[in-house]
Amino acid sequence: MIEFDTVGLRYGHGPEILRDLSFKIEPGSFHFLTGPSGSGKTSLLKLLLLSLKPSRGRVKMFGQDVTDLDQDSLLRMRRHIGIVFQEFRLLDHLTTYENVALPLRVLGRPESAYRANVTELLEWVGLGERMDALPALLSGGEKQRAAIARAVIGRPDILLADEPTGNVDPELSLRLVTLFAELNKMGTTIILATHELPLLDNFKYPRMVLRDGGLSFHG
Amino acid sequence: MAEFRLLRRSRATAIVPERSVAGRTLVLLVAIMTFLFGVTLGGVVLVQKSAIAWSSDVGREVTIQIRPMEGEVMESNLRTAVALALATPGVTAARALSLEESQGLLEPWLGSGVDFSAIAIPRLVVVEIDDPSEADIEKLERDLSAVAGATLDTHAAWRQQLNLMAGTIVVSGLLVLALIVVATVLAIIFATRGTMASNREIVDVLHFIGASNSFIAGEFQGRFLAIGFRGGMVGGIAAVLFFSAVGAAAGGVVPDEASAQLGFLFGRFSLGLDGILGIAAVVPVIAAVTAITSRLTVRRFLTQTS
Ligand SMILES: Nc1ncnc2c1ncn2[C@@H]1O[C@H](COP(=O)(O)OP(=O)(O)OP(=O)(O)O)[C@@H](O)[C@H]1O
Ligand SMILES: [Mg+2]
Repeated sequence: MIEFDTVGLRYGHGPEILRDLSFKIEPGSFHFLTGPSGSGKTSLLKLLLLSLKPSRGRVKMFGQDVTDLDQDSLLRMRRHIGIVFQEFRLLDHLTTYENVALPLRVLGRPESAYRANVTELLEWVGLGERMDALPALLSGGEKQRAAIARAVIGRPDILLADEPTGNVDPELSLRLVTLFAELNKMGTTIILATHELPLLDNFKYPRMVLRDGGLSFHG
Repeated sequence: MAEFRLLRRSRATAIVPERSVAGRTLVLLVAIMTFLFGVTLGGVVLVQKSAIAWSSDVGREVTIQIRPMEGEVMESNLRTAVALALATPGVTAARALSLEESQGLLEPWLGSGVDFSAIAIPRLVVVEIDDPSEADIEKLERDLSAVAGATLDTHAAWRQQLNLMAGTIVVSGLLVLALIVVATVLAIIFATRGTMASNREIVDVLHFIGASNSFIAGEFQGRFLAIGFRGGMVGGIAAVLFFSAVGAAAGGVVPDEASAQLGFLFGRFSLGLDGILGIAAVVPVIAAVTAITSRLTVRRFLTQTS
């Protein structure tokens, strides 16, 4: 599903943030991605989202080399990838409902085709009563859940989540990761970046640990 | 409750927020450009039409001038000239101006107290032509060589000058039209780039969730098409009103006789239906220019920034 071959990444002429990453991620797997702040978790997720190109090495996704992919194919490939950003990136002028429905709307589907799905998902993440609220009026945890809902509404094959539990209490964190576990059971490949190590102990998923530009697998 | 919400959500919020587009400023700009375009176009049409009308009016009349010559009898020469003129194909009327009329023509130059009996003055025959293209003016000119002192004035030099002037105005007008279009395109490129930059976050998020460039371009283009259309309508209507107002003012302010002359000169400032239709056609053209320009600009922006 995902294959890295001696991938390196640097920003501009800066030092290499990621060095010689070579690994494979199987479809249907669940990985935690951990490492100290500034170790490059977000950068690695951006490589996986195809929003950054590696400075060297090769990245293969869905069996296809993405290094020289043209923009249109790249955008099409993104439809199979869901992303939860560390800073949510909800659109301020759209309601919670519209934000969550956006990935389906940009595919040109009529609203009647997805309205029920979106409503159901919002109920499921506990935002049923906040559907018409603008993001500015949502609490941190509510925004987090809206961002997660937007990432999964299109039933992506790969779900990337950057600190999806950064803004919520431990109880909700546990519920959210359980939600990801449910999605994983239905076949979604998941990579979840976090530095909340205590939370990880509740789950037996393998960990990818970033340190000093290198990546190691545990468990 | 849920049903109520579903009903209420019948119209989706635009993905590109209305306020983020330099909307009103751009509508005003497009309106001004359309107005200038319409007024210039109307002016060109007016000049062109007047020149054609004037030219053909002038062409419908030629004058035979007979200079007094030693040993010639003016009255008989006049009669010959009139007869020759009437014998020319296409001529409908020919009339010699009487001595008094001829003196009357000279009065403005010589004053009214002059005794004309002492000086011999040139005399005129006014020849009216039905259709200048069918009249055989050359035959008349040849025939007139038999009459001593007779010359034919077809106002050709006049008309040539008139056509040259009208042509110059029309060419300048077209140049101005082209410049207006270029300025509009540049302003729209500028505004579109500004809008894209201020909506960068939206563009990025749309890209991250897999929106195609044509989808994003469509969202922006829809906005700009609406702006172009609204601005175009305002400017076009203003231009038509402008011409009506000028026409009405020319009719009201200028005294009757002068107004008749002005009317002769400028066709009463009347654009006519075709002129108004021409200005109306400017509106969709400007709207299309706006939409196409912004689409291309958005496309370029999108391919450059991802
Ligand atoms: N756009 C950028 N330009 C230059 N340097 C950057 C850029 N983004 C990140 N970096 C640098 O790359 C390194 C890794 O950043 P990254 O955001 O990937 O870390 P992280 O593991 O996600 O950190 P955190 O846990 O705090 O979110 C940091 O040193 C950061 O300063
Ligand atoms: Mg990060």
